[in-house]
Amino acid sequence: MGTSERKRTLTVGLFVLVGLIILVAGILVLGTQQNKFSKNLVITTFFKDVKGLKVGNNVWFSGVKVGIIKEITFQSIDDVKVVMHIEEKSSEFIREDVNAKLGSDGLIGNAIVSLVGGTDRVPPIKDGDVIKSVNGTDTEAMFATLQANNENLVEITKNFAILSKQMVEGKGTVGALLTDSTIAESLKGSVGSLNKVMSDANKATANLAALMTKLNGNQGLIHDLTTDTEVFASLRQSAAQLQGVTQTATALMSNLNETSKRLNDKDNAVGVLLNDPATAVEIKAILNNLNASTAKLDENMKALQSNFLFRGYFKKQLKEQEKALKAVN
Amino acid sequence: MKRKIENLLLEFARIHRFMMRFLREVVSPPYEFKEIIRQCYEIGWKSFPLISLTGFIVGFVFTKQSRPSLEEFGATSWLPKLISIAIVRALAPLVTALIGSGKVGSQIGAELSSMNVTEQIDAMEVSGTNPTKFLVSTRILATTTMIPVLCFYVAGIGLLGGYLSIAGKDDLSFLAFFTQVFEAIAAKDIFAMVLRAVVFGFTIGFTSSYIGYYSSKGTEGVGKAANAAVVASMFLVFIEELLIVQILSLVG
Repeated sequence: MGTSERKRTLTVGLFVLVGLIILVAGILVLGTQQNKFSKNLVITTFFKDVKGLKVGNNVWFSGVKVGIIKEITFQSIDDVKVVMHIEEKSSEFIREDVNAKLGSDGLIGNAIVSLVGGTDRVPPIKDGDVIKSVNGTDTEAMFATLQANNENLVEITKNFAILSKQMVEGKGTVGALLTDSTIAESLKGSVGSLNKVMSDANKATANLAALMTKLNGNQGLIHDLTTDTEVFASLRQSAAQLQGVTQTATALMSNLNETSKRLNDKDNAVGVLLNDPATAVEIKAILNNLNASTAKLDENMKALQSNFLFRGYFKKQLKEQEKALKAVN
Repeated sequence: MKRKIENLLLEFARIHRFMMRFLREVVSPPYEFKEIIRQCYEIGWKSFPLISLTGFIVGFVFTKQSRPSLEEFGATSWLPKLISIAIVRALAPLVTALIGSGKVGSQIGAELSSMNVTEQIDAMEVSGTNPTKFLVSTRILATTTMIPVLCFYVAGIGLLGGYLSIAGKDDLSFLAFFTQVFEAIAAKDIFAMVLRAVVFGFTIGFTSSYIGYYSSKGTEGVGKAANAAVVASMFLVFIEELLIVQILSLVG
């Protein structure tokens, strides 16, 4: 065998080898991905309707592919038997009380069986187990709901149409806002005022800012208040005194309160005077009597002046009065 | 008219005889291993650069061209699946066979017909070497094995080209791409690919050898044979593709 021939043989050998490696690698990857070579558990479930599920479709558990559909056959009038192959390495997390549910891996994707639920209380699935099935997302039901939504939407848009029409015609507040020019004018005015207010507010903020600067710059009363301990001490004293004053005022007020309460009662003189109508009547009677007595006394006194015993005294008094008048003049 | 039909039937008989002779020579010793290896080198290794480059371009361009129609559905994420199905099921064997027909078929046709024209084949027979065994069987065996091997390369390189095309636009990892690729195909697709490649390889070798072996004498016979070998191989490849698709869809 010549060198060139040997080289040629080697080249062909290598070439074929690499080509076959590509093929074998492809087959192996395919096999592992489709569970051809891993150990599988055979699990069975029954559906009323498999909705286009096909042999070879995936089985998901918590969104992870754990197996494939191996066989779909009719069991009875309303049962379809679905046999799944589940990877053994995932099986310890799939419990016997898991439910099989039909779904799809996208809106128009392939039909799949998802295993849902399962609790720690029961053991993991075993080869040959039969699991329960539940009804999954029903596309028809979904579309029925969508139809109801559509009807609602029609209603809503109708209402909107009426609303917008009224708005254009100037009915209601919004309509008036949109169409009435006077409102627009006043709005403009309001906005102008608002502008002014805002500029004032701006100024105020500026002042506040200045104040803050001052404060930060160790000036003014507030600064003293916040920083000077002496002022604070005297303020505290004043506050204490003020407290004393208020306490006294409170005592006074309570006394006053008591007094006024007593005034309302009838068990004391002033209270009786103020509150008892019977007493008032009596007092009125007494006053009447007094009136009558004084009138009589007046008369008696006049009679007394004319009495001879006292006439001299009154004449003397009159003369003294005249004398005093003369002296003044 | 009668003569034409007669000629056609004679042609079929000759093809049948040629086939039988080939099969007999293949199974009976001595085996021309050295010559087979040499032919494998000529047919397989020498066409590898051309065919792999074609495979890469096909994968790349096919992906680029498929993107807009998938984009319309917002389904560009399915691009790897589409490419995988297209390349493994159809394009890899077909592209290999077509390029192989052009490269290998014309070569075999021209070689054998020029040997025929210069009466080397007759001389070989006289000298005691079996020309069918040494010239024809080795070439047919070489194409039958090398076209499938080239097809695997084309599939791999074509998928790589598809990946590069996708990666140019989307941020798709190599692993994600190949996971999707193998999700879309089944074992029977790979089996079908190998079957196609073997059938195409055999067809190219057999047709080209036959046409070269029975070429008309004279200088123009070489050119005619080379041309006819390519045309016939390609044509038969398409006919077989059609038949294989039908048969496989029946099988499932």
